[in-house]
Amino acid sequence: MSVSNVGSEPLPRQRGVGALRWLGRGINLPLLIGAAAFAAYASGAGPYDLRLISIAGIYAILVIGFQFVFGYAGAISLAQSCFFGLGAYITGVLGARYGLEATITFPLSIVGPALLAALVAYTVLRLEDQYFALATLSISLLVQLVVTQWQTVTGGTNGLSGIPGITLFGWTIASRWGTMVAVWVLVVVAGVLAFQITRGLYGRAFHLMRESLPVASALGLDVARMRFAAFVLSAGYAGAAGSLIAHVVHVVSPEQVGLPLMITCLTMTVIGGRLSVAGAVLGAVAIVYLQEQFRSLQNYTLIAYGGVTLAFVIAAPYGLIGALERLRGMITAPRRGAVPTAQPIPRPAAMTRPQGPALLSVVGVVKSFGGVRALDDVSLSLQPSEIVGLIGPNGSGKTTLLNVISGLYESDAGRLEFLGQDATRLPAFRIARLGMARTFQHIHLVEDMSVVDNIALGRATAEGVGLKNAIAAFHRDDGLDRARGIAISAARMLGVEQHATTLCGGLAYGTRRRVEVARAIAAAPQLLLLDEPAAGLNEEEQRDLAARIRSIAALGVAVLVVEHNLVFLGALAERLVCLDQGRLIADDTPDAVRSHPKVVEAYLGAPA
Amino acid sequence: MSLLQILFNSLALGSVYALVALGFVLVVNATGAVNFAHGDLVMAGGYAAVFFGSWLGLPLILLLPLVAVAMFILGVAVCFLAYFPLLKRPPSSVFISTLLCGIMLENGYIVMFGPEIKAGPPLLTTGSLDLPPISLSIQSLATIGVAGLLIALQYLVFFRTQLGRRLRAVSQDREMAQAIGIPAFTLIAVTFGVGTALAGIAGAVLSNQFFVSPTGGVSLSIYGYIAVVIGGWGSILGAVVGALIIALFQVGASTVVPYTVATGGLYVALLVILFLRPQGVFGERVQRRV
Amino acid sequence: MSDRTIARTRPGMLRHPIHLGLGLVALTVAPAAAWAADAYLPIVLPVTGFMSVEGGSQRNGALMAIEHAPASLKAEAPVFDTGTSATGAATALDKALSEKPALAASVSVFGTEMVAMAPMAQDYQVPLLTISGLAQLTETGNPYIFRFLPNDREIKVAHARYVVEKLNKTKPALIGDTTAYGQGGFKLLQEDFAKLNINLAMAESVEPDTRDMSSIVAKIKESGADVLVIHTVAQPMALLIKQARTAGLDIPIVTSSSLVEPQATALFDPAELKSTCSETPSAPEARATPEISAWADAYEARFKQPPDGLALGQYDGVMMALSLIAGGATTPDLLAKALNTTTYKGVAMTYKSNGKGDMAHNAEIVCWDGTSRIPKIAADYSGDELTLK
Repeated sequence: MSVSNVGSEPLPRQRGVGALRWLGRGINLPLLIGAAAFAAYASGAGPYDLRLISIAGIYAILVIGFQFVFGYAGAISLAQSCFFGLGAYITGVLGARYGLEATITFPLSIVGPALLAALVAYTVLRLEDQYFALATLSISLLVQLVVTQWQTVTGGTNGLSGIPGITLFGWTIASRWGTMVAVWVLVVVAGVLAFQITRGLYGRAFHLMRESLPVASALGLDVARMRFAAFVLSAGYAGAAGSLIAHVVHVVSPEQVGLPLMITCLTMTVIGGRLSVAGAVLGAVAIVYLQEQFRSLQNYTLIAYGGVTLAFVIAAPYGLIGALERLRGMITAPRRGAVPTAQPIPRPAAMTRPQGPALLSVVGVVKSFGGVRALDDVSLSLQPSEIVGLIGPNGSGKTTLLNVISGLYESDAGRLEFLGQDATRLPAFRIARLGMARTFQHIHLVEDMSVVDNIALGRATAEGVGLKNAIAAFHRDDGLDRARGIAISAARMLGVEQHATTLCGGLAYGTRRRVEVARAIAAAPQLLLLDEPAAGLNEEEQRDLAARIRSIAALGVAVLVVEHNLVFLGALAERLVCLDQGRLIADDTPDAVRSHPKVVEAYLGAPA
Repeated sequence: MSLLQILFNSLALGSVYALVALGFVLVVNATGAVNFAHGDLVMAGGYAAVFFGSWLGLPLILLLPLVAVAMFILGVAVCFLAYFPLLKRPPSSVFISTLLCGIMLENGYIVMFGPEIKAGPPLLTTGSLDLPPISLSIQSLATIGVAGLLIALQYLVFFRTQLGRRLRAVSQDREMAQAIGIPAFTLIAVTFGVGTALAGIAGAVLSNQFFVSPTGGVSLSIYGYIAVVIGGWGSILGAVVGALIIALFQVGASTVVPYTVATGGLYVALLVILFLRPQGVFGERVQRRV
Repeated sequence: MSDRTIARTRPGMLRHPIHLGLGLVALTVAPAAAWAADAYLPIVLPVTGFMSVEGGSQRNGALMAIEHAPASLKAEAPVFDTGTSATGAATALDKALSEKPALAASVSVFGTEMVAMAPMAQDYQVPLLTISGLAQLTETGNPYIFRFLPNDREIKVAHARYVVEKLNKTKPALIGDTTAYGQGGFKLLQEDFAKLNINLAMAESVEPDTRDMSSIVAKIKESGADVLVIHTVAQPMALLIKQARTAGLDIPIVTSSSLVEPQATALFDPAELKSTCSETPSAPEARATPEISAWADAYEARFKQPPDGLALGQYDGVMMALSLIAGGATTPDLLAKALNTTTYKGVAMTYKSNGKGDMAHNAEIVCWDGTSRIPKIAADYSGDELTLK
């Protein structure tokens, strides 16, 4: 499913009409026609064409797998060809040397690379982009080194030949046609599985993760686990594809592990489209045929190939699929989907449990950056339904305090207690799952997704979003439906319901702010942290937002608002806490704080 | 082989790698982008040296300015082709576009110069100075000298001149730099040009002792990348130090273990460094801004 | 359909008895075979990528043979690029062999690609004419592989024998590389030295893109070796020789044929090549016989570059096939049979199959004396001399 289609996806009810509507949507019809034409061509193809079609299918599986880590998780993994080659070698060595059947070698070719990925994941996944690419490249080079040196097993740089065709339970697929069919059956399986995994709330969660890691964590998403799943999935898919190439070419050699294949994989993904299965197939077929066509140019082949691909990368950022959709969008306007029916936001589970002394308790927190003490022995506490304003001049540590409370920063000293639990060393996503939600100074929404889907992401953790559930939710993703229903209610509370199916990219700033708050409350938190929510809003919008926040607090949610705007806070907060240079200098009613001498001094300076 | 000889040879090889890494880190600094065609641009310098050498018949030291100018122009061209059109895209797009440029360059060399290995003219002359227990090849000495001079020059420009200050401003926050009137795009193009000129000089210097070939640059891109990561992402001094470490590894480690084990060892060492101290020797641990 | 019917009489054709004989046979059957045989002989090899030097030579040799085809043949030989991968080679051969029925195909010198292509010969039942030395190609019982340069196994015997028997060295240092070519030859040389009861002073392989060889040179010096035996591709070989000599290593060097290619010797000053020798199947640059000389001149005039043993080997192979086709082997199976049973005097040597598809059984050692880049022949090995028990 392409990203831009996401917001307009209706909830299909009737079967027949639903199918017709599906054909009319997006580029589904042209894709279906293309697939039928391709199938017709494949059924009458000669041996050379059959080989090309098989290779294209194998690369399609490789690219579908690559999309998990590169498209969804947004990480440049240069190890994809290494996993491919590993799968090829496992099938090759076991098939040629030990005569094992595909029923055994195929699963092993998937498990082997997946295991390697799982093993190295801890080392590489926490690295930032530029390091991650190099780390995965190093792993690939190491595997290539091992493969060329371990000559007794792998045949060295010459490789191994004599790999049999696909053998299942004693029956070998001898014909090229049969092999091609087998490959493309697996392409369909791979594609359906990938579609299943990514079409619901889980797939959408990846979009948010790419947009901003801290924001995703603050919503309770375990981003480390998501990246791990994407990485291991991509390795497994690559291994499957590698196993198949061994059966098609009957040879394995180190070139299948190397950089040139990795570059081809990257190119196919970028040309086809990073996020769609159809794009993967399209990219694979296009590049395989392009390379063959250009072969006749001999030495100019690769120059032409490079130039054409570069032009494509520049001109079509979303690949062929994106370009096709854009084209389609120019012909007829995309139809907006139906608005989901509202479901009530559930009360936070812990509301029924007896509380400790306070909902949130911050004691003696210290946080330094380099030599600067951003927070110096800060203590405060919050009760349910309380609205507390956090004020202070620039650089006083307000956002830092919010980051410590929400777990994005770890304090150097002090104690944090939330809902009676020690949260001092908890990572952000765990604190969020206890019942905390927040907004940020810079709004991060997924531009290509509708308002309702963005808000629905607030429900991701509550719905137990994860790989297992994504695969298991077979026909329809109920989790997504439930989340959307609750999202509508949240949208209603923030007054953005009328924009439900609009893509966030086109919204005004004030509306985006309200969507972001709606996303936070959709999570049904017990504590809501707001970071300068009024910034950029006009007076009327500010009054409106304040009223809405009051109604949220009335439900029992505690709210901590960081703000400069004392007028906004005046209507809202029962209590003000003032920071200055990392120290807490006042904690009292608004009137008392406003006239507190230290507060005045902090804002206006000492009297002359 | 005496320790001194190993050190000298490492220094000579490391000087070349340092020039490569320096050009690489300049572009990284200015744009945040990894230029995977960098090694191929090094080969471009080598081919330029071969070309000018056979045309003019002069020793390389006199041809270097010509090579530098030609490479500067090539660098600006790559910037316009692979970087500027992709400004608003995620960094992975630039990664891919530079990879594709690399492919085009490699095959361009085959078309223009043929697929054979070529050797360029020596900097001054071939031959060596014999000071037992070590033998100092004149080419190596000249290489170390040229590299040292250029690194010092680079450092001076970057940290002591107004131009350098502006370049650093652009690399830290391009939009802010533009807001205060710095012509950011011009400076970025200049950075690509200078980075490529450095790469080209490295290639020209390489060409006599270590030859030029169409695909010889791929490993150099990887070494530049590793050097910058080991030394500290964005640090000029780090890039130089990282390059010297790689050379020391290649020359030194292979005296005690088989060569292929030394190569594998380099990758393992890199992974260990990324695990323990990803910011490298001179890099700073960055807290993510929220 | 590309027309390659330039039928020029090959210089000195009538001098060779087999050709005279075949010519007479052709004359007698001419009325029956008045239709000129159409021969489709695609050329499938690396034209792009890191093997393009070798592939280019091979292609040139094949093309020149096509141009010298007997007048009664209309030979067509389009070129298909395999790139540098086994997958690419298999696809290219597929394309070549499925376009039209082929009588034979000239295929890649690159061992890794041959490994992928050899089984396909059996699928299509078309003989493959190659110059790849990879030993295993003729050791699997594949009746469709014919190679026109000596099997690596044989040529390495020449290499080892020269070191031990002619140079009387007892402590060789053996350097290989991690390419397919390097790994194969390295193993064979280890076996051969063992059979000759010689212990290696040291043995190691380098990556083909290694630049600084000081550590290897140091290890060679420390091992006390009295001769340096190198089996690598051209670039590391050239670097090693240069750096070894600069470091004062004066022992004789005997290398594999990578050095004999003119593009490799061009990297040296003649003086740097003193005391260096190479094994090679044939050295057309040395112009040892009038036939080779004439052929080399014709090659240079045609392709504007000096010839090498690869081109000559492929030339002879394709010429043999063409003459057999002209003589009546008009189907792939007939051709395969004829290739297996016929003795053919080519330009470089006489070719006869050993029953397994190895056609060439002659190797030479050439040496440089420091005054010129063109080496002189120092020893010749053929037939049984190329095997060791």
